[in-house]
Amino acid sequence: MPRYGIAIDITKCIGCHSCQVACQNQNGLACNEEFNWIREREHGRSPSFGKRFIPVQCNHCEDPPCQRVCPTGATHTTPEGVVLVNPKTCVGCKYCVEACPYKMRMLMHHLGIVEKCNFCIELVRRGGTPACVSTCPTQVRIFGDLDDPDSEISRFIAETGAQPLRPDLNTRPKIFYKRS
Amino acid sequence: MPESPWGWLIISYLFLAGAGAGAFLAAVACDLLAPDWSKALARAGSLAAGPLVAIGTVCLVLDLEAGLWEPWRQIYLVNNLNSMISWGVIILGLFIPVAFLYGVALNEITIVGKRLKPYLRHLEVVGSVLALSTATYTGVLIAVVNGVPFWNTPLMPVLFLVSAISTGLAVAMIGAAIIDINTIRTLSNFALGHVIFLSMEALALVLLVFMSLTRSVEAAASANLLISGMLSPYFWVLVVMLGMVVPFALSIVEYYEYGEMPKSLVVGADVLVLVGGMSLRALIVFSATSPQIV
Repeated sequence: MPRYGIAIDITKCIGCHSCQVACQNQNGLACNEEFNWIREREHGRSPSFGKRFIPVQCNHCEDPPCQRVCPTGATHTTPEGVVLVNPKTCVGCKYCVEACPYKMRMLMHHLGIVEKCNFCIELVRRGGTPACVSTCPTQVRIFGDLDDPDSEISRFIAETGAQPLRPDLNTRPKIFYKRS
Repeated sequence: MPESPWGWLIISYLFLAGAGAGAFLAAVACDLLAPDWSKALARAGSLAAGPLVAIGTVCLVLDLEAGLWEPWRQIYLVNNLNSMISWGVIILGLFIPVAFLYGVALNEITIVGKRLKPYLRHLEVVGSVLALSTATYTGVLIAVVNGVPFWNTPLMPVLFLVSAISTGLAVAMIGAAIIDINTIRTLSNFALGHVIFLSMEALALVLLVFMSLTRSVEAAASANLLISGMLSPYFWVLVVMLGMVVPFALSIVEYYEYGEMPKSLVVGADVLVLVGGMSLRALIVFSATSPQIV
């Protein structure tokens, strides 16, 4: 069984938000509902300054705080290591939204449940790649099996030393960032 | 990025469940300690405990989304014993009936009350354990949230427990004044309770704020919001001055004057303790600051 993850090369991100729109299309989201975002960070000082774009989404943590606090067990981890929400058993208590240190969960008011990035798992099980990965015009994201040392993602992480966001939070995210 | 999803309903729940559990403990303490000629405080506390916790639980349910529209989903709420909400459901499910039965038994309401009267001590023992669990659990609920470093400390349940006892005592004293205003001497006896528990609450709050300032960037950001930031006027006026300092001073006077203090001041001190307890919970929820991730 693979253990899926995404590596993100933020030096390539141009902040076009294609990944966001592709995700909304793939998951049938309204325009104000998002499972991924682009954070912006300015750096340097005049005359040499710039802006970095940092795409963020659910980290599918190995030790997910959202799953620990979910009273109904709606939040669960699939054998592929993907953290999912069962829409049939979620009661909308929002405890997971508070518990996620990355604040990557979205309350879907009209459904009364909390949802989030699901790594497009249905698409992936049919042999595809997540919409945010395949859409990206500059190929910022690499999706693949973290347990396979020969996969593109594993080699990328090994070569670049890509790190998760805030590894000190100890949730062991499966999204890795190459920052420079 | 989503805003903090918990608001006034959860704050009301944290406050009411704490106050109800505290009122139960105050009632038990008064029933065991107060002289026979005045049991109004025990009666008031026992009558208030069940309804307060029940109303708080209604707030909790109203805050649900799909679980409110499709109530049968609530059976899933006890699925994950790693979740404090599952434990909360179990504790509240046990405490609410026991609190109501205690109120009925102590006040000998209807035939049920008379039948239960011989089992009063049993209800007091079981109920006290459940009341302590309820009050503590409201703090643990937010203390296990590592998405908010300010909450994520064992001091939080301690603060919530002590504050629950303060507010519960205030509820019982206000109730006692309503039932029988001549019981003012009993109230003076129990004003010492306010002095003790408000001191402990102040200590827990000072520790929480000071340790948060050095614990992590995010915890410090929350603590600074309270002591010098946007929320500081509310913190200093509602929580510290009106919620602690003023009732503390009034309670000391009340204890030494022994029944001579104007009744409006006696009840006023208790109302202020409630204002402080509610404000404390509101400010702790609203000062939540998440980790900086990028």
